[in-house]
Amino acid sequence: MTGADTLRRWALALPAVVVITLFSILPLGVVLVYSFLTPGDFGNVKWIFSTDGWFSVLFERNIFDDTIAISDANIGILVRSIVLSLITTLITVIFGLPTAWFIATRPVAQRNFWMFLITIPFWTNLLVRTIAVQEMIRSDGVFNRILLGLGIIHEPIQMMFSNFAVLLGMTYVFLPLMVLPVYAAIEKFDFRLAEASYDLYASRLFTLRRVILPLIRPGVIAGSILVFVPSLGAYVTPRIMGGGKSMMLGNLIDLQFGQGRNWPLGAALSITLTVLVLLALIWYTRLTSGRKERNHG
Amino acid sequence: MLDIRGLSKRFGYGKGEVTALHEVSFSIAEGEFFTLLGPSGCGKTTLLRLIAGFTGPSGGSLVLDGKDIAAMPPNQRPVNTVFQSYALFPHMTVGQNVAFALEAQGRPRSEIDPAVDKMLTLVQLLHLKNRKSSELSGGQQQRVALARALVAKPRILLLDEPLSALDMKLRKDMQIELKRLQRETGLTFIFVTHDQEEALTMSDRIAVMSGGHVQQIATPRELYDRPANRFVAGFIGESNFLSAKASAGVVEVGEGRVALADAPDGPVTLMIRPEHVVLSANAPDALELQATVAQLVFFGTDTHVHLVLADGTRLVARVQNALHGGQSLNEGERITISLPAKALRVVRDEEVAA
Ligand SMILES: Nc1ncnc2c1ncn2[C@@H]1O[C@H](COP(=O)(O)OP(=O)(O)OP(=O)(O)O)[C@@H](O)[C@H]1O
Ligand SMILES: [Mg+2]
Repeated sequence: MTGADTLRRWALALPAVVVITLFSILPLGVVLVYSFLTPGDFGNVKWIFSTDGWFSVLFERNIFDDTIAISDANIGILVRSIVLSLITTLITVIFGLPTAWFIATRPVAQRNFWMFLITIPFWTNLLVRTIAVQEMIRSDGVFNRILLGLGIIHEPIQMMFSNFAVLLGMTYVFLPLMVLPVYAAIEKFDFRLAEASYDLYASRLFTLRRVILPLIRPGVIAGSILVFVPSLGAYVTPRIMGGGKSMMLGNLIDLQFGQGRNWPLGAALSITLTVLVLLALIWYTRLTSGRKERNHG
Repeated sequence: MLDIRGLSKRFGYGKGEVTALHEVSFSIAEGEFFTLLGPSGCGKTTLLRLIAGFTGPSGGSLVLDGKDIAAMPPNQRPVNTVFQSYALFPHMTVGQNVAFALEAQGRPRSEIDPAVDKMLTLVQLLHLKNRKSSELSGGQQQRVALARALVAKPRILLLDEPLSALDMKLRKDMQIELKRLQRETGLTFIFVTHDQEEALTMSDRIAVMSGGHVQQIATPRELYDRPANRFVAGFIGESNFLSAKASAGVVEVGEGRVALADAPDGPVTLMIRPEHVVLSANAPDALELQATVAQLVFFGTDTHVHLVLADGTRLVARVQNALHGGQSLNEGERITISLPAKALRVVRDEEVAA
């Protein structure tokens, strides 16, 4: 390769490098620096080094006797964020896989129509979509009215502001992100392999477990990352569906920069979130590249 | 052992309806190497898929060992398929591919492992047991596909053009290998091909198909010697056709006439293979005709002599090239040829059709 070639390559990459540096690495650096400063009196930060922000991620100091205790509230939110995101991912797999299967097995001419239906929600603002879900499950929302009207229940069921409500909202919002990559994987799947399996005495379940799932696994993993990562940092959906009762990490961070006036804690929480996402991505690359290695082994 | 009775298959409906198989009936005996031969689109794959159970018939029945299996799903039929595309599981090793059927049947490990090794030894691939199936050559994949389909000891092995993806040399080797496997296992094979040479060299019996109909079922020898109709005669080997008039057991072509007992009265079509045409007048009990040598084509072991009869009919004769030239012909020469009565066949013009 000549020097000019190398130069041209770098020149091609330059815009991307500039954008990533300016809008991703630089702000992350600022956040990292802020997480080691002292909260200002009315928000913002004082330029005094402190590890209190990081300390407060997991612990809290009793303001009266200065004893240190584990911060149940923060840990609760952290754990809830991870657990709700994992459950959301699981539910989207359970619902997304059959959906993707259904679309991928339609005649070619019909597939675009079904994909179009799946992507329609993307055209609508996230806030509007989430409020639509809220409208369904509110105390005087559609479900409760129908159930009351049919006389199945006599008092409205309280569904809003709970983990259930957040899960419902997130599943609804993120489902297409699961369907798309899984659909792509199933579409590439050679159905003659399923036929071969069926011919070799395998039941449908055995075929699914031993032939279909292993071969569409990359799509399921990609979908899981696409759902898990934004779920972990979700803000709008837990805010509307969970309120103050079922907060997630995104809402906690928002709180620190707003009412809480603790920017360093907010910054430390943001870094924590980023690290969690990074871990998920590392797990993902391990899972997929490990597969390739085995393919060559 | 397998009885196919009035089996038919239609695809689509209304105006788009296609009949891929028209009431096909035949029986296959235990241990037979049975071949379905026919041009592209004649319904070979469709028939095989019906036997495997991937699609259901539109009519008729499939009886295996006295039991109607037409409604049985493929995973319960004691019938396995070697697919044209091989359809090996790409995420599994050679060994795992071969073990698949036994695992699906829930056999114990202690039974699976030796069976897999035995099968891989049979196809001479034991040394590649732990290789990923996606990292094999075409011929190796072919053997894995065979081992995978044979390991569970099916009653019938179905092979859909298993050799068509291989190059000429490998193809010949695999033909011999397949035949050896079939003899060693004593298994019933139903083999699909559109290559007549492959069919003739490997099969015990051949069903020649065209347009969803079975045209003739016979041994390779019979098929070549006594084709049932013009389609079969033209499809298997090379043939010359002559229009003739028959009355009272004597056929007449132009100036020549010969006794042919099985010729029905009226206009008939006669068939003769190029190697049976004699380029001289003195063959006994033969149809003698005047012909012009139009072209001589040298083929190494033999020469193809293209002839034109007085009425314009074209014939091809094939003569072996003798060491010392023998009688030498020239293009444009007029000669007398003889078509021996025992080499002449009366063939039906019409194929079996709806
Ligand atoms: N799923 C299907 N839907 C509609 N028509 C079909 C279908 N499968 C086969 N056919 C039609 O049935 C006929 C027979 O097809 P088949 O695949 O059995 O041919 P074949 O003899 O195996 O040909 P080839 O040698 O090219 O493999 C063809 O006219 C084909 O177009
Ligand atoms: Mg075919």
